Amino acid sequence: MTELAQALVNGLQMGFLYALVAVGLTIIWGLMEMINFAHGEFLMLGMFGAWWLSASFGLDPLVAIVPIALVMFAFGVLVYRHLMRRVQGGDPFTQIFATIGLLFLLQNAVVAGFTSDYRFVNDTLLQRLGGARLQALGLTFAVPLLVAAGLSLLLFLALYLLIERTEFGLALQATSEDRDAARLVGIRPQRMFAVAWGLGAALVAIAGAILVNFFSVYPQVGLQFTVLAYAIVALGGFGSILGTLLAALLVGVIQSVTVVYLPPAFKDAFVFASYLLIGLLRPQGLFGRF
Amino acid sequence: MPRLSRRLVLVAIVIVAAFGVSRMAPAQSKVSEVLIGSVLPLTGNFASLGQQYLWSAQTAEDIVNNDYPDLQIPLGPGKGFPGLGGAPIKFIVRDDQSRGEQARTIVEQLISVNKVHWINGEGTSGITSLIQPVVESAGIPLSCHPCASPTLTEKGLKWFFRTGPNDKTMVASVFTFLKEWPEKGGPKDLKTIALFTCDNLFCQDNRKVATDLAPKAGFKIVLDLTTKTGATTLASEVQRLQAANPDVLFNVQYPAETVVFENDAKRAGFMPKVMATSNGAYSDETWLQAQKKTNGAAGWLGRDPTAIDLAHERPAWKKVNEIYKKYSRGQNMGELAMREITGLLWMADVINRARSVEPAALQKAANETNMAPEQLIIDYKGIRFENGQNVLATGVVTQVGWDGEKHTLWPWDLATKANFKPIFPSPSWQERESKPKPAG
Repeated sequence: MTELAQALVNGLQMGFLYALVAVGLTIIWGLMEMINFAHGEFLMLGMFGAWWLSASFGLDPLVAIVPIALVMFAFGVLVYRHLMRRVQGGDPFTQIFATIGLLFLLQNAVVAGFTSDYRFVNDTLLQRLGGARLQALGLTFAVPLLVAAGLSLLLFLALYLLIERTEFGLALQATSEDRDAARLVGIRPQRMFAVAWGLGAALVAIAGAILVNFFSVYPQVGLQFTVLAYAIVALGGFGSILGTLLAALLVGVIQSVTVVYLPPAFKDAFVFASYLLIGLLRPQGLFGRF
Repeated sequence: MPRLSRRLVLVAIVIVAAFGVSRMAPAQSKVSEVLIGSVLPLTGNFASLGQQYLWSAQTAEDIVNNDYPDLQIPLGPGKGFPGLGGAPIKFIVRDDQSRGEQARTIVEQLISVNKVHWINGEGTSGITSLIQPVVESAGIPLSCHPCASPTLTEKGLKWFFRTGPNDKTMVASVFTFLKEWPEKGGPKDLKTIALFTCDNLFCQDNRKVATDLAPKAGFKIVLDLTTKTGATTLASEVQRLQAANPDVLFNVQYPAETVVFENDAKRAGFMPKVMATSNGAYSDETWLQAQKKTNGAAGWLGRDPTAIDLAHERPAWKKVNEIYKKYSRGQNMGELAMREITGLLWMADVINRARSVEPAALQKAANETNMAPEQLIIDYKGIRFENGQNVLATGVVTQVGWDGEKHTLWPWDLATKANFKPIFPSPSWQERESKPKPAG
């Protein structure tokens, strides 16, 4: 029983990290309904940025969140203005191929610039807490992951308030629902899309700056998270911020609990099986609306 | 004889003579350059391996094409191939993005369009097994020196060659060491082992060999876990390992997954008495260098194809390492690069001895190889082939010390030379944190 409870705790802790990665995609794909296969590469850029600032200037990745988020916001806006706006009105396949092209461009540019070496940050605030554990009810809670979970919750709360409680958020939702109607009430859809891309890129880059404390950094690091992020957004319901958070926690728990009883090969199989199951029973996802 | 007939006879004599001469002494078509098709994973999942192979190819090309009079290894002194009138070597490098189907297409192009004389690659056993049939049917030599999967040389192929040791040899080194260690003053209470391997051909071959050898070395396998390559968390796997409580953990994972494992093990406070590994992260220079900042690898032991701590004493190793560093942005040759460069210089020697780029001549020269250990930059007992496998390739066991460097533990004669006191038991995470770090 303790084994299962510990697996639940481990899964929830990982789930918060997954939620961080998926939240940017919730804005771009879930809310604005644009496809971005380079989402993982935005994460990778955030990780590389945090590693570079740490290696060059000794900046802790948690502090580096601010400059990285600003730079990646600008990058997201640029990607929308110079690439995605041009393919937005076309066939969805054009969006798919444009972002796949962007994926390879970013990945290979980083290979050319930094080589394919694995990079590691050392002696960061979270890593110094590396061995610190809280014990309660016979369960172990890793302090660095608890801090990351707290940051993740804060980010989700901020995003929820931004989307649901501000004029900007309502304008974003209006643009997503009906671009022409939004234009009639004075909203400039192109600007909304650009800001959404900026926000999505900044959020996933923040996730990268946090993840760099737990994972090695290399040009292909984004892929393993992208696949999960897509499943999480679809599972949680397109455009639902709360749904994304809960779906990420669910994915973390499924992965974790599965391995306690079954060979690890079933880990992701069960995640996608649950996605298929929920897709059959509730195609709009757990918290999505049609 | 009428004038016309005389002329006809003369022309006929000239033609016959010319034809006869040409038959008697077939023209050696002059080789302007020797083309090596090099298919490598320069991007994608195995890019960190691919770039080491690329730097190795650049090093080999440099050594063959330039004159290094003091470098006593094949093709060191002199420019180009003396056996081919000084023709230079040229590597045509292609990136397969760590994808098997891409590698197959590239190999087909290298053979049919670029007309390469030899294919070297792909650097990973899984993808190499996919390109083997393409090259075999084309009938030109293929080599992959760092590929360690035994199956590659067990298919009866005529055109595949590997100078490096396979996993049977190298994993056997680890288990021979563990078996003999108690007699040499090592711990006598190591009885159980857990296998913790990734899911690709390389890891699974290691697992199979370990499954066979562990009981023979007196170990009971208490857990056998195969993990997914690209795992984002291994917390539950660590939980199971902790519950199984093995004396020895046989861990075969790539650097990214090894970092995930280290973090999860640290959080759970898990550390077996012995951390044994086989290639993967243990062969990755960037991982090893990063561990110097955390003492993360101190006490890890694993198999290597050479006693890397003793290699530095070889003059040829030092010189080749200097050349390698020109291309590797200052990174030293790791054992993986040493295996690859050794293989590429053997290939150059074969081409030189063949005095031809004809496939049959290359194949014959390759099969006739009998290189002495003095000609190598690595600790093999030499190079001699049986069914495409160098039967003189060896494995050694090394351990990372508190200085962050690898030290030889086995074979015992090399261990005596290395004069290193093994770290046992594997230090806890707290001890790693409290000790001074080699890289500050």
